[in-house]
Amino acid sequence: MATRDLVLSALFAAIIVALGLVPPIMLGFIPVPITAQSLGVMLAGVVLGAKRGTIAVLLVLVLAAIGLPVLSGGRGGLAVFMAPTTGYLIGWVLAAFTTGYLSQLLISHNQAGFVQTVNFFVAALFGGVIVLYVCGISYLALVTGLGFSKAFMGSLAFIPGDVLKALIAALAGRAVMVGYPLLPQRA
Amino acid sequence: MRSLHIEGDSVLHRLPAGVKLSILAAISLALFTIDIPALLAVAALAGLVGHALLRISAAEIWHRMRPFALIVVVVALFTAVFSGTTEGLTAFFRLAALALFASLVTATTTTGDFINVITRAAMPLERLDVLKAQDVGLSIGLVIRFVPEILSRYEVIRDAHYARGLKPRPLSIIVPLMISTLRSADEIAAAIDARGIRSQK
Repeated sequence: MATRDLVLSALFAAIIVALGLVPPIMLGFIPVPITAQSLGVMLAGVVLGAKRGTIAVLLVLVLAAIGLPVLSGGRGGLAVFMAPTTGYLIGWVLAAFTTGYLSQLLISHNQAGFVQTVNFFVAALFGGVIVLYVCGISYLALVTGLGFSKAFMGSLAFIPGDVLKALIAALAGRAVMVGYPLLPQRA
Repeated sequence: MRSLHIEGDSVLHRLPAGVKLSILAAISLALFTIDIPALLAVAALAGLVGHALLRISAAEIWHRMRPFALIVVVVALFTAVFSGTTEGLTAFFRLAALALFASLVTATTTTGDFINVITRAAMPLERLDVLKAQDVGLSIGLVIRFVPEILSRYEVIRDAHYARGLKPRPLSIIVPLMISTLRSADEIAAAIDARGIRSQK
């Protein structure tokens, strides 16, 4: 791994941590505050691509595991990996990977701007929402013995917010691609 | 950023980090095979007593466990309503014990010890040429070093919004934040290579 790629992953991990420390962002049109940290996971995929994005998310989880309060709300330590919601943290890694992989697959520089944004949205929605919730809900259902239907119902309330985050990630991903392109391109 | 480590000289502090992690893994497996609420309650109590032995206040213990309290109670209530009180109690004490034991390992192990364990665990991967074990410590250091910097960049961008009479919006904050941060990657990478920190083969 080139030093530059390592640094990019580390910097993005720092961005994800910082997004967990800033106060939740209020959007004008919905009354619910949005925690920006899971947005950071999708952003890691759309901005850095599969490999570097996954490493960035892994770094955040390693920092949490070694006892630093890097997750939103000052959570950290090994206990976050022993909680009913641990599946969502494992899901972060797969979400960043899937989002990054799909971004690399779907987006190229000679597409029109609107097409790129739509493709980024598809990538972020599939990775950052579908893959994430499959991991989170399966873990919750199996580990707590709650069963899939109840685990799904309990998670339902958070899905609209995450769809919105996928949209923000798509717009931001396209903007970064214009301003400072980093996403690896298929040959 | 303050670590969740607590200074001390207890038996747990002196145990090697690798041993503590193995014990934690064994205990959590055991907790999932036990289905007796009373036994799980004893385990949770033991975790609580362990925290008390670290000589931290009850408020501090609550502060550490608070992020987990809500989800544990919700899952236990759900289980109790749908599967019966015994199952609910089992879920409550099992999840509480898991979180308490994990938090105990975190409280008694320094960040440096953890990094050493991870570096050693990464050695087989280094032999397979997947990654370099020493990169783990380097990247962790980089992240810790840059979090405060990114936070101050966030404040600068937010103040720039206010100065122009604009409301800070997620997109108009996060895009300049990412671009300005990632732009510095080349310089940092050059600085690392110039110092020969990652000895190239």
